[in-house]
Amino acid sequence: MDFEWADYLWKLLPVFLVFLGVLSVVPIHVYLERKGAGYIQDRVGPNRVGLLGPDGLLEGLFGWRVTRQRILGGLIQPAADVIKLIGKEDFVPAKADKVLFTLAPMMALLPPLLSFVVVPVGADLNLGPIDESGHPVWLPLQVADLNIGILWVLSVASLSAYGLALGGWASNNKFSLLGGVRATAQMISYEIGMGLIVVCMAMHYQSLSLREMVGQQSHGVLQWGVFSQPLAFAIFVVCAFAENNRLPFDLPECEAELVGGFHTEYNSLKFGMFFQGEYIAMLAMGALIATLFLGGWHYPGYEALRAAAGDAFWANLGVTLLSLAAFGVKTVGFVLFQIWVRWTLPRFRYDQLMSIGWKGIVPLALLNVVVTVAMVLA
Amino acid sequence: MSAHAEGPGGQAPKLPPGVILAPGRHELGAGEKLYLSAIAHGLLNTFKHLIKPKFTIDYDGTEKDNPKKAHTPRPGYRGEHYLKKDEAGHVKCVACFMCAAACPAECIHIEARPAPPEMKDRERLPARFEIDMLRCIYCGMCEEACPVDAIALSPIFNQVSDERVKKVYDLELLLKRGEELGLSQSRHRYRPDGVPGAVPERKDHQ
Repeated sequence: MDFEWADYLWKLLPVFLVFLGVLSVVPIHVYLERKGAGYIQDRVGPNRVGLLGPDGLLEGLFGWRVTRQRILGGLIQPAADVIKLIGKEDFVPAKADKVLFTLAPMMALLPPLLSFVVVPVGADLNLGPIDESGHPVWLPLQVADLNIGILWVLSVASLSAYGLALGGWASNNKFSLLGGVRATAQMISYEIGMGLIVVCMAMHYQSLSLREMVGQQSHGVLQWGVFSQPLAFAIFVVCAFAENNRLPFDLPECEAELVGGFHTEYNSLKFGMFFQGEYIAMLAMGALIATLFLGGWHYPGYEALRAAAGDAFWANLGVTLLSLAAFGVKTVGFVLFQIWVRWTLPRFRYDQLMSIGWKGIVPLALLNVVVTVAMVLA
Repeated sequence: MSAHAEGPGGQAPKLPPGVILAPGRHELGAGEKLYLSAIAHGLLNTFKHLIKPKFTIDYDGTEKDNPKKAHTPRPGYRGEHYLKKDEAGHVKCVACFMCAAACPAECIHIEARPAPPEMKDRERLPARFEIDMLRCIYCGMCEEACPVDAIALSPIFNQVSDERVKKVYDLELLLKRGEELGLSQSRHRYRPDGVPGAVPERKDHQ
């Protein structure tokens, strides 16, 4: 068998890039969430645990107070939170289903991570002719280019409903169970609208591959999906909020009614996994919206820069890093919008949630499908 | 928001039976039921708060010597106690135990000693005068009860300690605090009623 280690390592490189990137954005996301919440409520948010200076990481670990002033105060707060979570007792309720109780957080954490597999996070990197063939070698900043990429995202995203539902069921707690049931019903209802919008976008781009979709949008800003399909964009954003269980659609963990919803009985790192899964899901949804509607990694002036860069390695690296930054700005931009909306709108009642989903989103999405069909055929 | 929404045919739309609108409210028209303008309004409002300067003071250890972080409480604010002195520089307190009796938290502990014979205006002086600030509820009853205007509440609100013992203030500390505040000889009684020097002048907006 012709087993080439180099080939496998080569394939693993984008995996590490993408997953380490995603996992390291999560703490920043948590920080932004808490800081944004504070600022919108006229507070200052976490501002103690920083890097240097008083209350900083270095002082906590080694007792080094490098500066008198706090620098980047609060940025290390997510790390402090994780340390706190690790330090807690890993408690399982007496009559809980232990296997499912342990499995559920994992099932909530994995799917959002998996949906990043097919997302192209940046323009391909031209490494120049580094192998014996003499042709330029391109490193794709995408783990796998599935030709049914968008279907993969949808199918994997719906798997995370299992994590929530099983977590609610296995806790043997009425609040958890209600939260789990709500999560399932809500995600299924809004997946229909989301799926219909994906149908529209697939027809619009004539492809199911995310790479191809971004490729079609990378000819100019006006080719972005948000300009050709504005209604689809609006519906998709609303569905994204519901799929992520974010306010105003956070009924699965609605504190006022259900204590903590499906994760009422969870603590320690099991809760941490639910938490992290939720935040990765938000990032994944932001990435999907960026890919479908906002041109993915494309940024204005990309073609000119690409042409100017030619085959020079460093220029190409710059072009690719800029595309990576553009993708990051779009993804984090959506996440910031979610934070902004969270502290603006109150939670919907459950019947309102359902009536918006079935009487508002689904008919509008169907209408959009019809219009798109007409546009494509015309 | 738009004016009263009119239904088709110029008639006011019918509410479901049993639904009564509150005064000043109108039934929402089709456009308003989308809540788009309301949501935009709300987003704008939260954005204003997002960028608004915050009035929280950062207690990072520099608040004592940073004039930007100086905060003077409003007149009449009841902070930590101080004791006053008379013109001769003696403690004003005559150890009558009125404040200790009035204190609902029972945080004032006084031991009296006889006054020296040359002091004609009083019979007793405090040998020990301690206030347990951790028990104190800052009600100001001691100040009201005092017949000789010897004890008063200062605007100090941010004194912390890492030991319980340090929050039990003795006679010496209470007198020193009055001098530091420049209020040792002040003549105000309880509520600040415009007596100069009763409360330091307000420096900031609130």
